[in-house]
Amino acid sequence: MSTVDIDPEVDGPDEAPARRWRIFGLPVSVVAAGVLGVIMLLLIVLLATRDPASDRQVDSPLLGRAAPQIEGTTIQGRDFDSATYDGRWLVVNFFATWCVPCVQEHPELVGFQEAQREAGQANVISVVFDDDRESVETFFGRNGGEWPVVLAAPDTISQWGVSGVPESFVVDPSGTVRYKLIGGVTAQGLSELVSP
Amino acid sequence: MTRRTLWIVLGLVAVVALALGSRSGGARTDEQRLWSIAGGVRCPTCAGQSVATSDAPAAESIREQIREDIDAGRSDDDIRARLADGAFGEDILLNPPRSGFAALVWVIPVVVVVVAFGGLALAFRRWERIGPSGPSRQDRDLVAAALGSDPDDTHGEGSGR
Amino acid sequence: MADVNASLGTAGVALAVVASLGGVVTVALAQAKGRPALLKQIPAFVGLVVLGSILAVIAMERALITRDFSVQFVAENGSTKTSLPFTISTMWSALEGSILLWGLILAGYLVAVVWKFRTRLQDPLVAWAMLTMFAVTAFFFGLMVGPADPFGTVANPPLDGPGPNPLLQDNLLMAFHPPMLYLGYVGFTVPFAFAIGALVTGRVGEGWLVETRRWTLFAWGFLTVGIVLGAWWSYEVLGWGGYWAWDPVENASLLPWLTGTAYLHSVMVQERRGMLRVWNLSLLCATFALTILGTFLTRSGVLDSVHAFSESSIGALFLGFFGLVVVVTLGLIGWRGEQLRAPGRIDSPLSREASFLANNVLFTGFAFVVLFGTVFPLIAEALDDRRVSVGVPYFNRMAGPIGLALLFLMAVAPALPWRKASTETLSQRLLWPAWFGVGVVVACVAAGTRGIVPLVAFGMGAFAGAAALRQVILATRRNGWRGLVGRTNGGMIVHLGVVMIAVGLAASGSFAEQAEARMAPGDTRTVHGHQVTYIGYEERDSDPSRLVRATEVRVDGKTLEPRLQRFPNASQEIGKPAVRYGIGDTVYLALIQAPREADGTILLRIIVQPLVGWLWAGGAVMVLGTLLSAFPGRRRRGTEPTSAPSRWDRQHHDDDTDPTLDGDPGSDTDTDTDDEREPVTA
Repeated sequence: MSTVDIDPEVDGPDEAPARRWRIFGLPVSVVAAGVLGVIMLLLIVLLATRDPASDRQVDSPLLGRAAPQIEGTTIQGRDFDSATYDGRWLVVNFFATWCVPCVQEHPELVGFQEAQREAGQANVISVVFDDDRESVETFFGRNGGEWPVVLAAPDTISQWGVSGVPESFVVDPSGTVRYKLIGGVTAQGLSELVSP
Repeated sequence: MTRRTLWIVLGLVAVVALALGSRSGGARTDEQRLWSIAGGVRCPTCAGQSVATSDAPAAESIREQIREDIDAGRSDDDIRARLADGAFGEDILLNPPRSGFAALVWVIPVVVVVVAFGGLALAFRRWERIGPSGPSRQDRDLVAAALGSDPDDTHGEGSGR
Repeated sequence: MADVNASLGTAGVALAVVASLGGVVTVALAQAKGRPALLKQIPAFVGLVVLGSILAVIAMERALITRDFSVQFVAENGSTKTSLPFTISTMWSALEGSILLWGLILAGYLVAVVWKFRTRLQDPLVAWAMLTMFAVTAFFFGLMVGPADPFGTVANPPLDGPGPNPLLQDNLLMAFHPPMLYLGYVGFTVPFAFAIGALVTGRVGEGWLVETRRWTLFAWGFLTVGIVLGAWWSYEVLGWGGYWAWDPVENASLLPWLTGTAYLHSVMVQERRGMLRVWNLSLLCATFALTILGTFLTRSGVLDSVHAFSESSIGALFLGFFGLVVVVTLGLIGWRGEQLRAPGRIDSPLSREASFLANNVLFTGFAFVVLFGTVFPLIAEALDDRRVSVGVPYFNRMAGPIGLALLFLMAVAPALPWRKASTETLSQRLLWPAWFGVGVVVACVAAGTRGIVPLVAFGMGAFAGAAALRQVILATRRNGWRGLVGRTNGGMIVHLGVVMIAVGLAASGSFAEQAEARMAPGDTRTVHGHQVTYIGYEERDSDPSRLVRATEVRVDGKTLEPRLQRFPNASQEIGKPAVRYGIGDTVYLALIQAPREADGTILLRIIVQPLVGWLWAGGAVMVLGTLLSAFPGRRRRGTEPTSAPSRWDRQHHDDDTDPTLDGDPGSDTDTDTDDEREPVTA
């Protein structure tokens, strides 16, 4: 039905000479399909190769700058000031108990901290992200971890540029931020970063 | 008046009205500036919201920062630049940068649309050269077949198959 | 009992998988070995797929309603405290259940297709289409066997579950927004299947697209409803005072809508002129592929920040399926494309068909912008190792000009005749719509509206609206109520809805005024001329798990109640904004902080935006128009071979009549054949 727009009074040419449009000798449709296919395949490769692996180092404007100060109280109720940690490597871990990757990375942090306590290389502190004190206490009671857990001032999160949890920063003995890790850490990965 | 004059008058009226209407309606208040800047800043801790629309603590603290900057008399661009330079990095701004690799996000769609319209224009030029086309014999047979016998024209649209 | 649900459901899913795979194999065998008799088995396989999917859905709903927490899905998403309607809708509040819903809808479409084409199942084109549909069905039910198993069980069932997301428990209409979207998404499978059938058989000019045109319209209509409902839900529930955030989920629903819209227009060129065959096929395939890609983008978490956990391999499967669709369709198009080319040409850039081409460039360009912007952060990260955000300001900046250009086309195109227009005709037909547009601009300027972009948008909107209205008036004047039905006239009503939405978008986007007010009882704050007074606060806790903190706020003398609400098993309180729609401004109140004690202060977000109501009204008009265009406006007589040609062969080419569509001259609604009969404004 699609071609019925005909005026029988005009005796049109029976067959217009077929003039195919070609690009490099190939029909347009083949070229277009090919180009689109390549683009789509690139897109698929791009989407497929995005890795959400742990120990993922990312860029942050903080790298190479002095670490912002962290002030607040620990869940035990003591005052906390990060300035007292100068002179040793410091792993600052932002976490929440509702975050699955945080729960998953916790044993790794425990392992790292225990190893470091003997080696004396590095300290760990955790900063609570959008969570309440009770849950955090229960969580640490159940899962272990003996390092300061800080309920920090509200602007700490934006000073450190934390956009989600888990995020960890590695601060060197001079107080300069060296690495930012998102999506969970491993004990081994951290040890490699802080080993001299 | 002829139709032609009516069109000319229409064009003039439209231009004058738009010219009058495009004059800005006075300076913006600080509050308006705050929300317009905040609308272009990504809330770092929430999925897909701007700082203007989120109540998350991080969004509030960024809004506070913008407010302070406005009070300090900084320009909009300056405030945005300071945010991009801050701890979150330049991806805090929802508007992608216009320089470097990221500028492609602005350029490529424009190029694509321009090329598409260019192709269309080329096609029209070609069509013009070919001259009018008529139905081929094949077409007519097809039509005859379609009109002549169409037992299951289920739509009543004269089409069937 | 526990095992009954899970086993019944698993059995249903398995049955559907086996049956759809059986369908694929049977049809493939029939085609390969040339045994069309096998095709008679198609209805049996479809029946089994439907049976399986219904079994699975019944099992799921039964598990939800009887609170069978041994089923993992129920344990994770159900709750004893959820009311019955929301318990039912819990099924599509999470991934596995929504795939199940997808499967059910797909099965429904399978039945409808088989019923509609029951006499023609042996036609190779229909057979290939059925094969395609079976394959898609097999994929979705296959997901439920593998990574999206809705009927996994838990060893130690909990006593209660968390219940669905409280944001989905606000309003039942909102709970039905996902099914609407799915009816749309899934509906595009049908035209896609026929496109594949046409490509494989090489029979592309034979009216298969007319067969599937109404199916496409149906799917498109549901998608429209789904998108508008989604925007409404955003506005009324989420509390940030916006309706569209250009986030990946929204973009994913917009993409197939854009290409689908392009198709609905360009298909008319093919029907009229026999041209653009390959292009139309490509649009249909793209639309279907985009529904899959969209599902991948939103379900795999690939676009979220890395913090989000993609817990299953479902993303990879969707991506693989998308790749398969792309390879198959592009392969077929590359292989067949040359053969499918129709001879013919478009006579003039000033013609209906040319305007459809321009429409197509704009719509596909729009889709490209949305897709490109959505995935660009990934591209930048991969190629440039730099993280950028592409958000609202970008999309607004890009979509604005495209939207204005589309409005302009909407104004001009309906007045363009097929083939070739004379400027004389055009100037006569467009004069009063154009004057109406300019009149609106003048009125707005006089009323104090400032800003070039919104003014141009209003003017173009008025121009396009008047042009659509002109067509409707001409058609009804000629044909009475029949001037409102049929594709062309229904389409004009859809255009009116689109214009309303465009004007609403331009107005509410350009002139929003926002404030955050800390108020004590009795305080008044004036925002954009609207007086907002905080009166008092009340806690209602008939049931402690459903505590409602309600505030009484008076807006221009009318009482509103923005509140915070606690839902069972949800730790956070959810805001429930209050909206006062007016003819002009809409006042939106969201309670951010309830007072600590009864006479304490509250933190209230106040947003005043003009014409928000137009968006929802426009959506309703679009749906109405879609229904009208699906309604067959000319059923009374079929095409009569004797009368039909005589009707058109004396026409000059400069007219809009479409005799093939309007076998009955009395319902020839499309058109302004006689220029003399047209009203002339002057």
